[in-house]
Amino acid sequence: MTERRTLDLFEKELDAIGYITERDDRIALTAFLATELGKPLLISGPAGVGKTEIAKVLSQVLEAPLIRLQCYEGLDETKALYEWNYQRQLLKIQLGREHLQEADLFSADYLLPRPLLQALLSEKRCVLLIDEIDKTDSEFEAFLFELLGEFQVTIPEMGTIKAKERPMVVLTSNGERELSDGLKRRCIFLHIEPPSVNKEVRILRAKVPDLPERLALEVARAVNVLRERLSFNKTPSVSETMDWAKALLVMGKTGLDPAWVEATLTLLLKSQDDVELFYQEMGAEGLLFESGKMAQGERNAHGHQQR
Amino acid sequence: MHMDTNSDRKVSELDKHLVEFAQLLRTVGIKISPSEIFDAAEGLSLIGLVDRDRVESVLQATMVKDVKHISAFRETFRAYFATLEQKEAWNKAAAQKADQWNEQIESTYQDLRFQDNELDITEEQRAVYASMPEDDKQRLRDFLEKSSNGTRGGMPLDHSYQPMVERVLRGSLEYWRRKLNEDEPILSPGSTNGILSEVERALRDREVEVISRDLKKISPEEWPEVVRLIRRLSQRLANQVTRRYRAARRRGGLDMRLTLRKNLRYGGVLIDRSYRSRRKGRLKIVLLCDISGSMLKYSEFIWQFVYGLSTVVNGIKTFAFGEMLVPLNQKFKKGQTFETMVKEALSMSGKEWGGGTNLANALEALHRHNSDVFSKQTLLLIVSDAQTLEGEKAAELLSWANRQVRKVLWLNTLPERRWSETPFVKAFLPFCQMYECYTLGHLTQILNKQF
Repeated sequence: MTERRTLDLFEKELDAIGYITERDDRIALTAFLATELGKPLLISGPAGVGKTEIAKVLSQVLEAPLIRLQCYEGLDETKALYEWNYQRQLLKIQLGREHLQEADLFSADYLLPRPLLQALLSEKRCVLLIDEIDKTDSEFEAFLFELLGEFQVTIPEMGTIKAKERPMVVLTSNGERELSDGLKRRCIFLHIEPPSVNKEVRILRAKVPDLPERLALEVARAVNVLRERLSFNKTPSVSETMDWAKALLVMGKTGLDPAWVEATLTLLLKSQDDVELFYQEMGAEGLLFESGKMAQGERNAHGHQQR
Repeated sequence: MHMDTNSDRKVSELDKHLVEFAQLLRTVGIKISPSEIFDAAEGLSLIGLVDRDRVESVLQATMVKDVKHISAFRETFRAYFATLEQKEAWNKAAAQKADQWNEQIESTYQDLRFQDNELDITEEQRAVYASMPEDDKQRLRDFLEKSSNGTRGGMPLDHSYQPMVERVLRGSLEYWRRKLNEDEPILSPGSTNGILSEVERALRDREVEVISRDLKKISPEEWPEVVRLIRRLSQRLANQVTRRYRAARRRGGLDMRLTLRKNLRYGGVLIDRSYRSRRKGRLKIVLLCDISGSMLKYSEFIWQFVYGLSTVVNGIKTFAFGEMLVPLNQKFKKGQTFETMVKEALSMSGKEWGGGTNLANALEALHRHNSDVFSKQTLLLIVSDAQTLEGEKAAELLSWANRQVRKVLWLNTLPERRWSETPFVKAFLPFCQMYECYTLGHLTQILNKQF
């Protein structure tokens, strides 16, 4: 019998594969709860905060293959669950005209499993990522109830298929549409906000090992100021912060200055409206001034703690 | 599951607290099902009760499924799991407030009488009276005393005059209600439960956030942020096209599944074919905005909403209405105000700005001259406080409009608790989906639900 995983052990495993969490973000605890209670994990939060990453990390920790269903408007069960293999069915019909029964055509041999069915049929426990569930329509959401609650699906021609091994289901949502109560009730819920300065510095240092600590800190502070102070159409994501830091590193910078902030701004802000808003409300010098104020605040807080 | 009776007792105590906590969460507006309470209990038995932060995280993950409820959850957790002394202090304060309130209401029974009879007025009206300045209270008491002892044609007034006196008094109290607190209710201090009143207090304090503030109270400096939010919300309307397939006789892709099943009887020769086509789902929006006097305070909101919609949705038809219907056909310009645009439209049509509201006139004009804007793909969006003349006729016309279009959505800037006082809201309700909409939070919620 395998030993039951504890939260501390789970946190250590996350740490071992290089996934950075903080106690305050509650990511480790909530993911652990979902895993142990065998419930789907519903993750919400703005784009680019690392929702999808959690599924990938869980797949590594649980040593389970990751099966991904990318949702989009108009997604239906033939793309998500299964489709019949019409070519094979046609061939079969042509070959066995005389003694053909309907059941001969609608059996597992003629079934093309899509991600949801693949997850149920998997011999080994897997992680099923249903990404951006808010992009689908409510009919599809209702269709998922059976899968999320009972870990089974019903195919009219074949009957009910139960999961061989219950998959660990992770659903992500950007909050574009309110999800139904039925779906939410079946899940454990985690909301992620963009990382704190400290956490982002740790992420930057882990993913870009050559990045000097000072530059990492200045970049993380500046991005934090942008996220907190300005209401952009699209706030800079963690991966964009990383791109920015890498670009500055390639240019041989060890700290931020206004000219380079302006020159590389498009790595962070991807729409003309957001760029205009930045210059209107803050500008590069304003940004560095605000970041400096934040650093001063951190130093003061640190001084208080030491005293 | 449990090893001995001792731990059974512990668990049942925990269960009791969990159920009580869930009930408190329900009181502040968070939906919680029994299965979620069960999940919370299981989660706690897994994580343990030693660490307060972890307990909070488990309860949040299992009981709160919506970002906008997180702050209410945190306040409720803080209050429910506070120290005993703190809870006692809150209970005491709540009991004191309730006593004070009861005393005040009790005194109104003494003060507000006609010829020694109690008057038929609501608890809220009594509360308004209790909150009035002493001088004005005295004036009302004088009025009641004079009318109690008054005469008509040399004869003293009898009790049949009481309803008339009550009407005058109600009118005066209604004036004071608006003067004292606009649309906010003057309600009793709520429950004598100290924890609940503490949560309610904390949530009221949080209402300073832009999202939950009445749109007419948003200052000019905050508008740019609000505008951006409205734009983002309007974007969702634009993306409303459904791409699901539906069965059709011709056009679109071959529905292989159906075709194959149908043709099994022909030995697999595809004689009888079935097709499917894309649903053409893009909505045509017809916007009907109330510009009467009572809506003036919301004109900035309406303008931003209209402008936001027009920048993301093509072919939106906009009409303003007061006493009459004003089509707003010209292009919306950045920086222009709603008022100038309406005035331009009025001068072009040779009409004048009217102060009253007549939805019936507006709908009739739509019916007569613009009925081509209505189809089964139309979303009729009405922004109005539903205070209109000719309400019955308007309700009839709304019922007609409802039959012509896919959906009638009414954003009412009047709080829902005031709807019962507005004469015709009840008549309109069967023919539209009406939502209260006077904060950005409301607008977000409506768009989330509808789109």
